[in-house]
Amino acid sequence: MGRDSIAGLVCLAASLGLLAATIGLPGPNLLVPVGPGFYPRIILGVTAVLALALIISDVINHRRKTDTPAATATAATTAAPNYGLVAATFVIFMLYVAALPYVGFRLSTLVFVAALQSTLKPPRSIKQAIIVAITALVTTVVIYILFERYLVVLLPRGRWTDF
Amino acid sequence: MYELLLAGIIDIAQFKYLIPLFMGTLVGVIGGALPGVTITMTIIVVLPFTYGLDPLQGLAAMTGVYVGGSAGGLVTATLLGIPGTPSAIATTFDGFPMARRGEAGRALWLGIWASFFGGLIGGVFLVATTGPLAAFALQFGPWEFFSLFIFALSMVAGLTGSSIIKGLLSGAIGLVVTIMGNDPVMGAKRLTLGIGFLEGGISFLPVLIGVFAFAQIMTDIEKRQAAGAAAAAVARTIKLTVSHVKVVAEILKKPFLLLWTSFIGLLIGVLPAIGGSAASVMAYDQAKKLSRHPEKFGTGTPEGIIASESSNNANVGGSLVTIMAFGIPGDAVTAVMLGAMTIHGIQSGPLFMTQQSKLAYGIFAAYIVAHVLMVLIFALGARFMLGITRVPQSTLIPVVLVLCTVGSYALSNVMGDVYVLLLFGMLGYAMVKFDIPLAPLILGVILGDQIEINLIRAIMTDANVWLFVTRPISGVLLGLSVASVVVALWQQRRHRKRNPNAADDRADF
Repeated sequence: MGRDSIAGLVCLAASLGLLAATIGLPGPNLLVPVGPGFYPRIILGVTAVLALALIISDVINHRRKTDTPAATATAATTAAPNYGLVAATFVIFMLYVAALPYVGFRLSTLVFVAALQSTLKPPRSIKQAIIVAITALVTTVVIYILFERYLVVLLPRGRWTDF
Repeated sequence: MYELLLAGIIDIAQFKYLIPLFMGTLVGVIGGALPGVTITMTIIVVLPFTYGLDPLQGLAAMTGVYVGGSAGGLVTATLLGIPGTPSAIATTFDGFPMARRGEAGRALWLGIWASFFGGLIGGVFLVATTGPLAAFALQFGPWEFFSLFIFALSMVAGLTGSSIIKGLLSGAIGLVVTIMGNDPVMGAKRLTLGIGFLEGGISFLPVLIGVFAFAQIMTDIEKRQAAGAAAAAVARTIKLTVSHVKVVAEILKKPFLLLWTSFIGLLIGVLPAIGGSAASVMAYDQAKKLSRHPEKFGTGTPEGIIASESSNNANVGGSLVTIMAFGIPGDAVTAVMLGAMTIHGIQSGPLFMTQQSKLAYGIFAAYIVAHVLMVLIFALGARFMLGITRVPQSTLIPVVLVLCTVGSYALSNVMGDVYVLLLFGMLGYAMVKFDIPLAPLILGVILGDQIEINLIRAIMTDANVWLFVTRPISGVLLGLSVASVVVALWQQRRHRKRNPNAADDRADF
């Protein structure tokens, strides 16, 4: 199964699931000749058809590729993508988002900026570690002051810390 | 019209507007100069700072980012041979060879002044055409608006990415996002899946920020690289002093080239989703075809730099026309601007020019003044900007992610928008990995409600659905939608026949 087939199957399953969820929606009334489910059903139907078309086109392309002689392999000169670092970034960001309502903006941002910097480029000396800490502190303080004091935007307070 | 423009310029010249405009232009130039940081990313970072400002202050800052960013890419393009933004790709072809043969100052300032003149030509077009186009759009009924939005969506789906099916699917996913929450006509709850924050629907800004910011950041993290050392070395050695009179005269001696390449930029800007990079490459190609010495292109000829830079700044003017006259964002940057307008309770589209004329002419004025500020910023700090490209990504990325979070949270001070940011960040990255274009999704999210409202309005007015086809403007727009899909299919087939093993990437958003 190709990459497009996987994407198509996910979209097909999601659109059919949502299409089923429109069954209980109210019907049309005297003022509006179509109910709130009318447009979603069209959109979800179109999405399902497109997802199916993507799967079919992927299957046809795969067949064509297997029928034709194998193309010469292109030289893999570029470095392999660093998916580990991407996953680590997502995890750190998820933890940051999860911590925001409990720990508050100031503490969680301080830790997040320091943690992500250290993950992306681990400090190799005390000087570099100090730069990471200062960057995290300055980022947190500057954003907090700019938004709370000057732009009148309230940033999240922590339920646990009240800070 | 010109009285209103003059009043707009007088407004913008006040410190309360001039400072955000200057800051926006400065940040735009820096963001544009940083390889790997696009104008979209820069405007996303600036967005939360505009929440506390009045509408014109915020939109002036964003216009500054757009203008500054479109020109900023030329710094690294000419001096390092690395385009700071995709729209500066063609500038590297001649800018870098010219800089390498010892004329770095000339290469840089040819680009800056060409951006300035191209931008001003874009300004004339913007001021002259937005009003009449908006007046024309005022004649539209729900049938025409529905068809116009479908046309925009099908065109974007056809132009971006390697597969029309994926483009259309991406647009459809965007429309699916808008059907969650209350329906816009009766207010009935639908498809909330029992999740509390979905009841009010999904705001499009966290979706846009998540999709674009994460897609780019995570792609950068995958293949981390730095141009810092090269930038540092160049910053110390190059000579950027130049006779401005000579450079300006060099550009103005080629009026046809300047006008034609700016016109190409404008035209591509008006059409949704094609983007500044296509404008710059097409203008470069045209300049080469029209030149008496096409063989000199690629060796450091001034025409190449003028064509690329005048077109990408004129492109900004074209994109602003589309959003202000029709309410359709021409690219991701204007999509963010549309979001900023929504936050301030401003509805873009044909009525914007008449109901918010002060604001509209304020934006025109900001666009024009931003070009003057852009030249000033370059004059004061071109060398400094080159030095700034040394800032490591490991420092930039966490700061950008914090600003994305603040930008989403501050929309309505609820964590729900931050969860949407995270969710769509993951979706955006997954779409990049599955080679599904992002632009149609965003346009779908932006236009989804309007498509539904106009469809229902049309049916409520007259149940005859054939009116969508038989009303002349609506019929033509639907015909163009079909044509754009057919042309995209034909191009895709032709491309596959010619390059059976090639993956293509044709447009940016």
